[in-house]
Amino acid sequence: MNTDEVEILLVEDSPNDVELTLHALRKENLSNNIHVVRDGEEALDFLFCRGTYDHRTQERPPKLVILDLKLPKITGLEVLRAMKNDIQTRAIPVTILTSSKEDRDLVESYKLGVNSYIQKPVDFNQFRETVKQLGLYWLVVNLSPPAGAFAKKQQGQPG
Amino acid sequence: MKSLVHGTGPKKLRPSSEVVSAARTTEKLRASEEQFRLLVNGVADYAIFMLSPTGHVVSWNTGAERIKGYSTEEILGRHFSCFYPPEDIESGKPEKELESAALNGRVEDEGWRVRKDGSKFWANVVISALRDESGDLCGFAKVSRDITDRKNAEEVKRLNVDLERRVMERTAELAAANKELEAFVYSVAHDLRAPLRHIHGFSNLLADHLGVSSDEGTKHYLESIQGSTRAMGNMVDDLLNLSRVARAELNLQVTGLSSLVDEVLKELGPEIKDRQIEWKIAALSFVECDPVLVKQVFVNLLSNAVKFTRTRHHAIIEVNQAEIDGQSVTFVRDNGVGFSMKYSDKLFGVFQRLHRQEDFEGTGVGLATVQRIVQKHGGRIWADAELNIGATFYFTLATQAPAAITVEGGAS
Repeated sequence: MNTDEVEILLVEDSPNDVELTLHALRKENLSNNIHVVRDGEEALDFLFCRGTYDHRTQERPPKLVILDLKLPKITGLEVLRAMKNDIQTRAIPVTILTSSKEDRDLVESYKLGVNSYIQKPVDFNQFRETVKQLGLYWLVVNLSPPAGAFAKKQQGQPG
Repeated sequence: MKSLVHGTGPKKLRPSSEVVSAARTTEKLRASEEQFRLLVNGVADYAIFMLSPTGHVVSWNTGAERIKGYSTEEILGRHFSCFYPPEDIESGKPEKELESAALNGRVEDEGWRVRKDGSKFWANVVISALRDESGDLCGFAKVSRDITDRKNAEEVKRLNVDLERRVMERTAELAAANKELEAFVYSVAHDLRAPLRHIHGFSNLLADHLGVSSDEGTKHYLESIQGSTRAMGNMVDDLLNLSRVARAELNLQVTGLSSLVDEVLKELGPEIKDRQIEWKIAALSFVECDPVLVKQVFVNLLSNAVKFTRTRHHAIIEVNQAEIDGQSVTFVRDNGVGFSMKYSDKLFGVFQRLHRQEDFEGTGVGLATVQRIVQKHGGRIWADAELNIGATFYFTLATQAPAAITVEGGAS
C-alpha cells in the first residue's frame, strides 16, 4: 500500500488489539487504507515523514489517527502533544482509543486538544459498534481540510 | 558563715569602751545575721537548708517545709538522703554529691526528689560546701527548687515535637501508600481490562468462525467464556468506579434531589419499559451536595429496587423523605424480594452479595460505592428489610453536621 494514501493511522502496540480493531473496521469496509504503527516513535516518524517514512509527503495526511495511550518509547499523550503543537499535523483528527477512562487521562487528552476520546469496551460487540461509528463518522460524515492546506510550502518552489 | 551554720549568737561581753565598740560591731553583725536568717527563712519558693559535714539537716526554711513537706522539728538531725528516691540512695548518690561538693566547692544537679508523703518532684539542686577561716569543712548549704512544672512543660514540648514528627512520618507513609494505590488503579484501568477484551473478542470471532458448524456444546462453552469475561469486565469497571468515587473531590452545589431522581428514572427507561411498576415519588428537598455523585446513589438504589422487584406482578417503588432524630432522611422503598436482616452487616461490603448470581445479577460493588458517596458527604446509610416483603434504604447527606458540632462545642 502506498503510505501516501493512508486514511486511518492506527497507533497500537498490542497485536491482539490490532487484530480485533482491524477486524471490526474490515467488517464495515473501512480497512482498505489503514496503516498500523506499533509505538509512539514510529507514529511521529509517519506523521512528520521522517526516518523510515521520509519518502512520504505531508500533502495528504491521514483522515484519522486512532491513538492508544499506553505505548512503548513515546506515549500516546506525547504523540498527541507533538501533533497538536505543529501547524502541519494540528488539523488531523485524533481519537484516543484506550482501556482507561481515568480522569487524569481524559483531562490530559482534552487539554492537549484531542478530538475524541473512547474507552474500549470489554464486550466485543460493543467494541465493534464503537469502531464502526468511529470510522463512519470521521471517514464518511466528517469533512477533511483540502489536501495540502497545512503542508509546509517547498522553499523556492515557483507559484 | 560558720556562726550562721550553727545558729549561735556572739557571747555577751563586758562593756568597756573597746569592748563596747566590739560589742556594737558584734551586735550589728548579729542583727545582720538575724535579718539574713529571717530573709532565708521567709523564702517560700526555694528550699534553703544547711547540712552538717555528715549530711544531717541542721537548719530548715519555709520553702523547704513547703516543698518537701517536713516541718523543722521533724527534719532537724535527719540525714538528707531521705529526700532522694530509693534507687538513688541505693547507688549512693547523696554521699557522692556531698563528696563532689566538698571537692569542687559546689555541685549542681537536676533530678527526682521525694517529698515526705512519698510523692516525687523534679528538682534543681545546688549544694555548696561551707568552710571556716582555716579551710575546714563545717557543712553544706543546699538550695533546691521544685521545677516539676518546667520539666512537665519541657516534656509536653518534647512530646509535641515527637508527635509532630510522627504525624509527618505517617503522612509521608500515607502519601506513599496513596501513590502506590493510584499506580495500582491506573494499571488496573489500563492493563487488566485489555486481556478481558481480547478473550471476549477472540471467543466472539471463534463463534463467528465456527458459524453453523458449531454444535450445542461448543456454543455453550463459548457463551460461558463470554459471560464470565463480561462479568469480570463489569467487576473491574465497578471497582474502578468505586476507587474514582473514593478519590473524587466533592463539588458541592445546591441540588434539588427530585431533579436527580427524574434524570435517573429517564435513564432507567429501557430497563423498566416492560415492567408494571407503581412509582410513588414524593417531592424531595434541596440539599448542598455533589450532584454527580448523589445521582449515582439514586442510580444504584433505584436500579436495585427495579431489579429486586422483578418477580413481583405489582411492583411498588417509593422515594420519599422523613425526619428521623431531627435529621432529614431520604429513603427508597420497594416491595421486592428483600433480604434477611441477619446479613445486613454484609450489605455495604465490596463484592458482598446476598442473592445468587443466577437469580439476580450484580457485581456486589454498587452499595459499597453508594456508602462511600454518602460518607463523603458526612452522611450515613442503612437498610431495613424483610425477606420476601421488601427493602428500604435510608440515607442522610449531613451537610448541616458541622453546624451541629459547633453548637455542641459551645454548650460544653
